[in-house]
Amino acid sequence: MIDVADLVYEYPTARALNGVSLHVLPQTITALVGPNGAGKTTLRRCLAALDAPYAGHVLIDGLDTATRPREIHARLGYLPDFYGLYDELSVRRCLTYAARAHGIPDALANAAAEKAAGQVGLSDRLETPAGQLSRGLRQRLAIGQTIVHAPRVLLLDEPAAGLDPQARRDLSTLLLALKDAGMTLVVSSHILAELEDYCSEMIIIEAGRIVGGKAVKVRDVERPRYIIEIATARTDLREFLAARAGLDVVEADGHHALFTFTRNAGARAKLIRDLVAAGFEVSTFGESTKALEETYFAQVGQS
Amino acid sequence: MNPEFQRNLWLELTPRRLILMTALLALAFLAAGLATNRDTAVLVPVAATAEWLYYAIVVVWGTRNAALAVVGEIRDRTWDMQLLSSIEPLAMTWAKLFGSTIYNWFGGALCLVVLLGETAVHQDVATALIDLVYYIAVGVIAQAAAFLASLIAVRRRQSHSRLDTFLYQAAGLAAGLAVYSVWQAADPANFHIAHPADTDTVLWWGAKLDARGFLLVSLALFAAWILTGCYRQMRLELQMQNGTLVWLGFLLFIGLYVSGFDAWLTDNGAMARLGAVSLRLGLAATTYAALTYVMVFLEPKDRVHYRWLGSQIAASRLGAAWNGLEAWMMAYLAAALCAVLLLVWLPGFEARVTDQPALIAAALGFVTRDVSIFVFMRTLPGRRRGDLAALGVLFALYVLAPAIANGLGLTAILTIFYPQDATPLWIAPLIAWAEGLAAATFAISRIALVKPAVS
Repeated sequence: MIDVADLVYEYPTARALNGVSLHVLPQTITALVGPNGAGKTTLRRCLAALDAPYAGHVLIDGLDTATRPREIHARLGYLPDFYGLYDELSVRRCLTYAARAHGIPDALANAAAEKAAGQVGLSDRLETPAGQLSRGLRQRLAIGQTIVHAPRVLLLDEPAAGLDPQARRDLSTLLLALKDAGMTLVVSSHILAELEDYCSEMIIIEAGRIVGGKAVKVRDVERPRYIIEIATARTDLREFLAARAGLDVVEADGHHALFTFTRNAGARAKLIRDLVAAGFEVSTFGESTKALEETYFAQVGQS
Repeated sequence: MNPEFQRNLWLELTPRRLILMTALLALAFLAAGLATNRDTAVLVPVAATAEWLYYAIVVVWGTRNAALAVVGEIRDRTWDMQLLSSIEPLAMTWAKLFGSTIYNWFGGALCLVVLLGETAVHQDVATALIDLVYYIAVGVIAQAAAFLASLIAVRRRQSHSRLDTFLYQAAGLAAGLAVYSVWQAADPANFHIAHPADTDTVLWWGAKLDARGFLLVSLALFAAWILTGCYRQMRLELQMQNGTLVWLGFLLFIGLYVSGFDAWLTDNGAMARLGAVSLRLGLAATTYAALTYVMVFLEPKDRVHYRWLGSQIAASRLGAAWNGLEAWMMAYLAAALCAVLLLVWLPGFEARVTDQPALIAAALGFVTRDVSIFVFMRTLPGRRRGDLAALGVLFALYVLAPAIANGLGLTAILTIFYPQDATPLWIAPLIAWAEGLAAATFAISRIALVKPAVS
């Protein structure tokens, strides 16, 4: 869905992207992360056909940003970190305008606006001026404007900023639903824990380059990561786990192991039984919730 | 309806604002009527009030709103969303230009009803209709010029202070004032523009044309070019590429338009000895040189883009390089072409004029020097102030240093500052081109050799 080849972007005094190549599969949610000043914003703007690169190509849904930017814009939803709203317009008019500006016919725009309002939980505030919304509700409205035309690709920067815990959970559910509906999402955030909930791939950018040269698969819904800890160290823990069918060890030492395994409850129960039967004093067994964070810190600074 | 225009209607034409404008104007007209001496026709001072209110609302206030049409979106961080819409550049251009000023046009329309109503009653309907065309033209041209200035500035930088916005507005006001002045001058009662010997006609390309009709057509053409400029700048903002044909078309138009006024120069002592062809080529060259200065000041002069141009030329992708030329480069080439034609023409057909070729060659050398200074200053650290620094350098070269040289009695060295007669004749062009080539070398090497650091 997104193909980037040898992308170079230069500011007059600095090269922000230095030969970036990447491939984002359709219907995935990819985290775009990296240290401050790594080139994330520049890359996002190039992906959104908002800035023209010095060299290289960006293809969105098969369209080249250099030659067909407006067609790409029509297929894209983009929520920047800093954005504005038309404070004097009502939520309905903000969403209707966004829908019509993205080519939705007049007759369908109101329905699209109401649907988007429902998706972001603003159905009961359709007639409220945007300027009277709280920060969290403004964030929801901004996301609503971004998805109102059902884009093929969604680029979100810090989408959970300003949202309360319930709204963050709702956002995760919404993003997963959008992915299931066929969208391809690229999400940036400095809070990696936020991304854990819904991102399956991760692109780490550092000093204008993709760390490792490609997107890293960090989460597989069918084969999540599990962590196991044992009370008494055993040197054969890795060997024991590696011998199980369908289990892949990511890392292990005498006390703990991180591995991918099927989500099937029966298979997990059998694995625990086998461990206990083999004399391992299992003190912890659970799904790892820090896959992104672990991968990120394992990779950043290594290149 | 165009969604951007509709959004502007939502924001600008609220019932409260419409009532407010109507009430305030009605009060102003009533006050003007009541203040009138009972012996004079009441409509005359009311119409005069309506005229000045029209200028205030549509030209002064309207240019501000037009200048803010895009700059305000950038300031409020809503521009990215609009850039990512699927609204086409033409639709975005007219929706922004007329949508942001729709409230001004509403107030202006109320003024015109009173103003032209008075004209229709006291003069005739035809005059009222001609005046209607003028009033709409002055509003559209002023607002479009402010809008164009703001769009050009948006290409140069992303932050815009109140002073910047005022400058964009000032560009619109200047255009409006030019239209006003030209229109006043075209009035048979005046004689500023029309040929002195025949006050209601204009001599253009040797033809004697009706002044008011000529100016009406000129206004329409310049309004069309300004609107075209807005459209092309909007295309660039929306990440679409512009070719060079339209700008070349404008250069051709402006060259032909200005060179048609050669008859104006025949009374000038220094120019009177030149023939029509030389005068016309000279006018075209001067116009292109002026455009070169204006555009080199206005355009971003992006070092990255220049490096890209160099890479395209090095790779023999001349078509891509040609399409990537900035407007000032093409204006410079046009000026150089006209200058070369003059240099060929003068010795062959006007051999008695011996000093002009040297001055023309020197002038082109100094233009080369000056544009190189603009480009060079833009590549220095703190480049946002580069253009103002370049203006400062040019002020020093053209005003301060010559003044000091004159004060010290060193008039012989003035040839190093600007085109000046010198003996032998070849000295002036030699010095000018030495400076021009040196400045160009500095600028090009600065672009080519100073590579950006990897972040």
